[in-house]
Amino acid sequence: MRDQASVLEDVRQGMIPAHIYNDDEIFALEKERVFGRAWMFLAHESEIPHAGDYVVRRVVDDSFIVSRDESGAVRAMFNMCLHRGMQVCRAEMGNASHFRCPYHGWSYKNDGRLVGLPFHGEAYGGEEGFRKKGQTLLPAPSLDTYNGLIFVSLDPAAPPLREYLGDFAFYLDFYTQQSAEGIELVGPQRWRVKANWKIGAENFAGDSYHTPHTHSSVVEIGLFREPKASKRKEGALYWAGRGGGTTYKLPPGTLDERLRYVGYPDEMIARMRATWSDAHLAMVGDDGFMVSAASAFPNLSLVHNWPKVEDTESDDVTPFISLRQWQPVSADETEVLSWFAVDRNAPQRFKELSYKAYLMCFGSTGMFEQDDVENWVSITSTAAGSMARRLRLNSRMGLLADDKPVSPPLAHFSGPGVAYVGFGEYNQRAMLRHWADALEAPPPEEGTVDLGGTS
Amino acid sequence: MTAPASRTIARCLPFGDPRHLEAHQFLVDEAALLDTQDYDTWMSLLTADIRYVMPVRVSTARGAGFDTAPGMAHFDEDHYSLSRRVARFATEHAWTEDPPSRLRHHVSNVRTFPLDHTDDEVVVESAVLLFRSRGDVREPSLISAGREDVLRRDPTRGAPSAGHWMLARRTVSVDESVLRTQNLAIFL
Repeated sequence: MRDQASVLEDVRQGMIPAHIYNDDEIFALEKERVFGRAWMFLAHESEIPHAGDYVVRRVVDDSFIVSRDESGAVRAMFNMCLHRGMQVCRAEMGNASHFRCPYHGWSYKNDGRLVGLPFHGEAYGGEEGFRKKGQTLLPAPSLDTYNGLIFVSLDPAAPPLREYLGDFAFYLDFYTQQSAEGIELVGPQRWRVKANWKIGAENFAGDSYHTPHTHSSVVEIGLFREPKASKRKEGALYWAGRGGGTTYKLPPGTLDERLRYVGYPDEMIARMRATWSDAHLAMVGDDGFMVSAASAFPNLSLVHNWPKVEDTESDDVTPFISLRQWQPVSADETEVLSWFAVDRNAPQRFKELSYKAYLMCFGSTGMFEQDDVENWVSITSTAAGSMARRLRLNSRMGLLADDKPVSPPLAHFSGPGVAYVGFGEYNQRAMLRHWADALEAPPPEEGTVDLGGTS
Repeated sequence: MTAPASRTIARCLPFGDPRHLEAHQFLVDEAALLDTQDYDTWMSLLTADIRYVMPVRVSTARGAGFDTAPGMAHFDEDHYSLSRRVARFATEHAWTEDPPSRLRHHVSNVRTFPLDHTDDEVVVESAVLLFRSRGDVREPSLISAGREDVLRRDPTRGAPSAGHWMLARRTVSVDESVLRTQNLAIFL
């Protein structure tokens, strides 16, 4: 394996060796050191509301059953039978009290406990030969939730999720806690793109610069007021803890006027007022910044925007929220999982229009997403060759040659972290600094689990 | 997707029935428009109350009673949203289809079913296999789907299309849960 030290050094300078977007050796390291340790989003609690509900999701190559057991607890269990390794659940979602392996019939309760083992006495000599009691499908080494978002880490020594997210959690609240009851997550749409996973994560973290050009067509067709270059560069870019994002600057007005401008009905605004902290309210109401795209390291992204979704004379817009994961398949392929999120307490009519807004803009058919992916596929295939090893991509926007910022960070910004106004690749660099740190750190201990039966 | 009882084999129009022949021709003519991305003409074949839906398919246990993701679709369109998509392709900045994909919609397995309550609508089932090739480096992609359409005779008196079949409903049942194409900047 090549020595990656010079690659990481270049990345930290904001000069990105182009091959990192399509390099099998880098990907092998990422699997071990990024995805083998980071907190990875799997599902939202609203996807499995009832006892027995489950979805099957992956962390790169590892399949997990995310279920709600009979006591109401959320579980994430490695989807591999303890006996011969068959997947005990081959559906993507459903409701089950038990999972029975199709190979030899071992069966597990929806909390993972091994409860059925055919011919236990005759074949194994009962408990003396194979201790069935206490055996479970392997649980994810670490599991934690934030605002109902279920994450797992393959590192048993992972810090608590809230600590890992750091102050990015504040920004997650805008997307996932617009009322005390939080969101419903619907979907996902899933599709595979021949693009490296990092490109989407970086783009959502801070690339306000691409919006006016890549997405000019959606403004031309009258869907949007916002993504004009002049509007986009007035927004703040923030980085806090393990994530960062982009915002739009809203027109002058009170908090309520600004939330109405984005398309929120008054009853939802009242719940935001009752739920959000003073700092949240100040960021919108006083500073006038509304969250748009964002990413949390490594591969979870969010987006919030407000298109016109009905054929009327009025300029009315409807906001939508999408949450998505860039699930790596290989160095040059990513499965996109794209969900629609909406506040559980939103009026039904709002939910319908917001869903429509999501479909028109993001996801497998989204008019923004269509052009993004075209770019990312092209970058990835071009990054595979020899010339890409000679090219360091300039990701220094916002920095002068002596590393001082082109313009200083905002002196007053109500959210946590560091924020800049104007175009700059601060967040993409922050994302890749976390990436470089992860690649440099030794891999976490894997450990094994004793299944009993032998000593 | 299980067809309702109204569309049993016994109800299927004979392949020599004029309504079947017209429906079949509609689908083949439409495929030529979709292959060449002649979307303005395509839109003229859609009724004002068009519903164009492509649910997200999911793998579920046999007997689960559903095989689509609850509340989620790839397409869930009305005339306005389709018109925006088509208008976008007509701008000079819809990069994803410039250069355009080479498209071939292979349409087969066409069956036509009459409706009891009207002679001005028929239900048409078909299979479609879309071959999509972009550029000169990438692997092509395939999308296989079943379609269930409602065709309606245009009731607009005096219109050039009066009496011609138009597409009023389409449900596309795609045959993959995870699509192997970079986006759905195409129609099925």
